[in-house]
Amino acid sequence: MSVIKKILNMDQRIIYLGLFIALAFPILSPVIVPVVIQDYSTQAFNFAKAIPDGSYVLIEGGNAAATHPQCGPGLTANIYHLLTKNCKLVFFSITAEPAYWTQVEIDDAIAKLPASVAKEKGVNWVNLGYLSGGESGVAALAADIRSVVSKDHFGTPIGDLPMMKDINSAKDFAAVFWWGGSEGSIPYGIRQLVGPYNLPMSGSCTTNEVPNYSPYVSSGQLKGLFGGIRGSAEYELLLGVPGPALAQAMATNIGGLYFLGLVLLGNILYLVQRMRGEK
Amino acid sequence: MMDMVWLGLVVGSFVSIGAYTVLIGDNPVSKVTEHLYTGILAGYTLAINWDFIMKNAVGKVQGGQFDFILPIILSLMLFARLKPEWIWISRYPVALTVGVGMGLAMRASVLSDFVGQIQGTLLPINSINNIVMIVGTITATAYFLFTRENKGPYKYVNQTGLLFLLVAFGVTYGSTASFRFELVIGRLVDMLRPDVALYTYGFLALVAIILIYGYTTKKIPWYKSR
Amino acid sequence: MSDRLTKISLPIWLTAIFGILMIIEFFFSVPQIVTDTNVKLRSWVTIVSAAALILGTFILTIAHVKRAYERKPGWYYSLIYIGAFAVAGALGLISVRETNFMWIFNNMTSPIGAALYSLTAFTITSAAFRVFRARNWKASVMLVCGFIVLMMLLPVGGAIFPPIVPIGEWIRSFPSSAGFRGMIIGISLGTIGLGVRIFLGRQKEHLGIREEKKEAS
Repeated sequence: MSVIKKILNMDQRIIYLGLFIALAFPILSPVIVPVVIQDYSTQAFNFAKAIPDGSYVLIEGGNAAATHPQCGPGLTANIYHLLTKNCKLVFFSITAEPAYWTQVEIDDAIAKLPASVAKEKGVNWVNLGYLSGGESGVAALAADIRSVVSKDHFGTPIGDLPMMKDINSAKDFAAVFWWGGSEGSIPYGIRQLVGPYNLPMSGSCTTNEVPNYSPYVSSGQLKGLFGGIRGSAEYELLLGVPGPALAQAMATNIGGLYFLGLVLLGNILYLVQRMRGEK
Repeated sequence: MMDMVWLGLVVGSFVSIGAYTVLIGDNPVSKVTEHLYTGILAGYTLAINWDFIMKNAVGKVQGGQFDFILPIILSLMLFARLKPEWIWISRYPVALTVGVGMGLAMRASVLSDFVGQIQGTLLPINSINNIVMIVGTITATAYFLFTRENKGPYKYVNQTGLLFLLVAFGVTYGSTASFRFELVIGRLVDMLRPDVALYTYGFLALVAIILIYGYTTKKIPWYKSR
Repeated sequence: MSDRLTKISLPIWLTAIFGILMIIEFFFSVPQIVTDTNVKLRSWVTIVSAAALILGTFILTIAHVKRAYERKPGWYYSLIYIGAFAVAGALGLISVRETNFMWIFNNMTSPIGAALYSLTAFTITSAAFRVFRARNWKASVMLVCGFIVLMMLLPVGGAIFPPIVPIGEWIRSFPSSAGFRGMIIGISLGTIGLGVRIFLGRQKEHLGIREEKKEAS
């Protein structure tokens, strides 16, 4: 067997080990390089910035255990941003696991906020928790909140929450933020909130889903999009509030270069093989 | 008293290593971890959906909204699926969920996806970017929808559509690779925290010993073929 | 005949009626009673969907109980599933905000879930090295676009070669976006077509009708 063939047929566990080291090394010895802010992130940030102070904002929290480390810091920054603008936030989650993580992200943001910012539960924010039914659930919530949710995440009846006094449908909100994680649910928001109610919407998803939703950004149905850990890091930078996302975004560097190096090496060896007439 | 947050991180590190061992092949450690995961997640799904029904259906009935008895009955009818002879009973709640879901998806698809995206493509032909959008959308849609013989002028439409779709797949590929690395990093950040790292290395050594023992004694089925 | 009506025809008719009620409310001015009915129907769907997920956990658990009872290969792993399900389910049913329940979920399910989902990072890297080749123009287009976009997404990409960011963003925002737009339009037409087939009773699999035929035969 030729050397090239041997390299191409190397045990995949060696490749796995290499990737482990490439991803773990920058966590142990972080190196920070400047981040160029992407257009989609700037658009999403400007959208959040332009929301009038004191507006009611609807937020879908869709980060689960796997996606919380990458998109969670972004949602935390978003909550921080909107609460400093005195916005009233209503959260919900359309899958079971993110209902827990959304509350974690709310608590993280509240812990970071200065004492002067109002952040009282039931007055400045309400977490409606888990909402079953997927897209049908979103449509039901948009039409009549009380028809689908009677108690919040903590079991408090909605009628007892002062903030919910004047809110009962999508019409009562000024904007929507859809933090879909990897749920693939951003189109639910576009179809059930943006289309029927003309609500402006922005959001976030994992990096792999950003290309899928780019047509919605270019058509204006989505006002901006934070993608994955890089998007979260960019939100933290734009907001000027440091968080965990930047260091994690930097940790993708060596792993990504390792991946690209392997793709290049594989193709070079393939070309050499072809030139030599090897199969 | 033991710090429960720290203990949680240590336990999390241990079970993560268990899950990662599947990379060297199916083995008892990874199997145990997978079943543990499925079991707890199923328990969680059961509990949180039960809580949802109690809050939003049973709670409403208790509050005097008696029409919510109907979805409770429909929910019970769903369980007829467990017995093959009664499967037809479960068709009624399914008819409700599929009918409502499909109706909502259809009406929204027309407005947001079909009309919305066509509106987004009706751009003035005054820049390269707009031309790329218009040509790309039309040809990709044609490639996606029309299956006819690939010859004559249509061949060029087809090939152009394919080119745009390949660009889209390439972009998705690059983005997916990045996303997967972010997932690993998210886990490693907790596993390599200074107060947890030592335990992570310890667990790694322990799992290695277990697997080496399995390999040498051939007590792990996966190793029998190696 | 009446058996067929209650077991097959009526569920198909009801699917169509519920679907059409949702559609007409959106496109036409309808009496208030239709709107009110639709609000009720949508809220009922959320309840039934939650019950469907509970049913899913039951079916999975029954499969594991059977495997353990019949001592099929790997039955002892099923015992671990059953134990984990029983503990998490019992604690959760007491209260979903119960501290021990949340601790188990947070420190066991979440890390394992994150680790399991991240396994593809390794397989995708290995696959990229072994099979992602510029064999023809089609593969080359994918390879080049994937390469540029990944470089753009890595912070170091912009630091090494700053123009990679605008180039990558352009590819993502225009040619790639146009490709995805074609797909979205195609999928929306597909959704409408599927809906029409379901409402006409041409597509019945969701009602388990095919399953029943198999069982009968």
